[in-house]
Amino acid sequence: MHMLHVEIICFLASYLVAFVLELGRLFGRSSISRFVMVGFGVAGFVAHTLYLINRSQQTHLPPLLASTHDWMLVLAWVLVLFYVFLTLAQKELAVGVFALPVVLALVGIATLLNQESDVIEVSAARAHRAWAMFHTASLVFGMSAGAAGFLSGIMYLIQHRRLKGRHGEQTGLKMPSLARLAQMNRWAIMLTFLFLTLGFASGVILKVIASEQASPVRFGDPIVVGSLFVWLCLAGAFVWLLSGQASAGRQVAWLTLAGCGFLLITVVGLLLVTGTIHSRSSPGSSGLLDQRGSGPGLFACLQGGIPQWPPSCVAG
Amino acid sequence: MNLQVVYCNHHTANLGIRERLAFSRAQIPQAYSALRAAFPRAEWVVLSTCNRIEVYTAQDDSAHVPSHQDVARFFADFHQVPLAEFFDDLVERTGPDVVRHLFQVASSLDSMVLGEPQIVAQVKEAYALAQDHAAAGPLTNALFQRALKVAKRVRSETTLAEGRVSIASVAVGDFGKRIFDRFDDKTVLVIGAGEMAAETLRYLREAGANEVLVTNRTLARAEQTAAECGGRVCPFEQLDDWLCQADVIVTTTGATPPLVNRDRFRKVRQRSGRKPVFILDLGVPRDFEPSVSDLDDDVYLYCIDDLEAVCEQNRQARSGEVEKALEIIEEETEKFRSELYHRATGPIIKRLRDHHHGIVGDELTRLFARLPHLERDRAEIERSFEQLVNKLLHPPLEALRDEARDGTPHGLMNALKRLFRLHDE
Repeated sequence: MHMLHVEIICFLASYLVAFVLELGRLFGRSSISRFVMVGFGVAGFVAHTLYLINRSQQTHLPPLLASTHDWMLVLAWVLVLFYVFLTLAQKELAVGVFALPVVLALVGIATLLNQESDVIEVSAARAHRAWAMFHTASLVFGMSAGAAGFLSGIMYLIQHRRLKGRHGEQTGLKMPSLARLAQMNRWAIMLTFLFLTLGFASGVILKVIASEQASPVRFGDPIVVGSLFVWLCLAGAFVWLLSGQASAGRQVAWLTLAGCGFLLITVVGLLLVTGTIHSRSSPGSSGLLDQRGSGPGLFACLQGGIPQWPPSCVAG
Repeated sequence: MNLQVVYCNHHTANLGIRERLAFSRAQIPQAYSALRAAFPRAEWVVLSTCNRIEVYTAQDDSAHVPSHQDVARFFADFHQVPLAEFFDDLVERTGPDVVRHLFQVASSLDSMVLGEPQIVAQVKEAYALAQDHAAAGPLTNALFQRALKVAKRVRSETTLAEGRVSIASVAVGDFGKRIFDRFDDKTVLVIGAGEMAAETLRYLREAGANEVLVTNRTLARAEQTAAECGGRVCPFEQLDDWLCQADVIVTTTGATPPLVNRDRFRKVRQRSGRKPVFILDLGVPRDFEPSVSDLDDDVYLYCIDDLEAVCEQNRQARSGEVEKALEIIEEETEKFRSELYHRATGPIIKRLRDHHHGIVGDELTRLFARLPHLERDRAEIERSFEQLVNKLLHPPLEALRDEARDGTPHGLMNALKRLFRLHDE
């Protein structure tokens, strides 16, 4: 099927315009400005989708398995999906003010990451492909839930501050109620923890399956250490939530903000560092991103999981 | 084309007069019957709300048009109120002023609370009733349909209707609904009584609150309030228990010293746990010590000054939009007026064109019958004749359009009828 040629700049620019319009709506609202804003958001989303499909066709791999660049764009795509859905469903809410900067940052970071994917002889890896997909999908969902939690945490704290400061509802900056945001925060922590755990577990399974070809486990890899640390923090937060000690919404909001923010900064930051400097400086090295040209092996590299797939490595 | 409105509203007449002149829904059919009997050629719409009583009249021609006095007399006869008691309170507007006035009314620019949403529904209902009783006609249909569209435009293009402006609506809408997602699972405690508490309860009920506890030092007053708001009376002596139980507290006693001090509420919070609690202290002086708010992050305490400050901000924000709304109304009034006048000249323009084209048709038939060799150039000849007619008609039609900008050009229309012998159909 012939697909339109779409560049990252197409949807990046659309999201940027939508964000500017969303900011403009803080000072005055009209149905026309909303229509234009939603139009740009949806246009960006469509272009974003086409870009991922194109990439998938080029690499003959699902976007989640193609490269760190694609993986990051899938994460942004999931956030845009939430943004578009919420904006269409609740026209008063100013979700874009919070969500679009994160989306723009993710897309911006994706442009800095390695876009090249290895030529993988998928046939040789077919046995592992389902597990790899599960592994990466879990991580992306975990990261998406983390990003949503980060945003709801920010919204809670702003809403709480305005209510405690006895400020009336601002026309342009309508947010969900504190009760709803507190609920979202709790769910975000639980889902992030759940998906990251599944990501870890599937990484271990991948390692077991591919143990004959496994490269040595690199426990000193910064991604492994950082990710493991984040996971432990979230586990602690999860236990704290379940134990019922965190009854105050504001505490949960701070917890979500810190936990999910830390997750985003750590994982994205480490991917950015290892996915660019490392891979370019030492082509052919056995580093995770070079071996695979793929970020989803974030946790899999702990077990040397995904690296077992490729018999050859073009990037090297 | 004659448009007129005779009205009294909250600017011109006091409540006593308005109450006596108002039409209940049951009286409306009778009112239309009386109006139609007196002026059978006129169209009518009666708009009667607690703040205004307005009678709109429209008629195509100017023969036997109801006057200001006629409508005033109708008010007096219908309600059996001496004319002298209210005649000075009545205002009359005619022509474009009627259009402007109705557009302002429907857009809530003329309302007691600027931007209030009920008036559009009231205008819509008045118009629907007039239609049901065959009192509305082509002119009032056009006028009221356009008024509803203008109201919608004002609402969408300005923020006139945004921001609440009453204490109770701000309390529930601006604060309560930003704390809680729903109220049907919340317990509301009312301490004391009063009009503001009753209004706040009404908003809370609308938001879904079911469980209402009422307590008061005087049991009889508590019982009365509970009966009015459908709540349950609780003994005042066990106030701390009810404070523990409540998610929303509305208090209006104005007791001195404050009814609930910081220490007392700290103990309550220790018992109730850290669930969010929304306190509306409507008492003057305050019933809750202000420092109660700092006890923990989930205590949201608002006093009447906090609410009034938000109301004032919202009022100012709305006032800033009035100019913008008036511009829209002026533009729409001009457009409606122009359309209305052009509509009046439409039939005469059509007759004039038909008349001339009829003559051209006859002449061409005669010409081609006499000179058949012209048949091969028939299309060109017909086009030339058409252009000739159009050029001849252009100056009078242009003059008619120019005149129609300032009102129905009755004089010019009559002159054209006489000059070109156009007879009424």
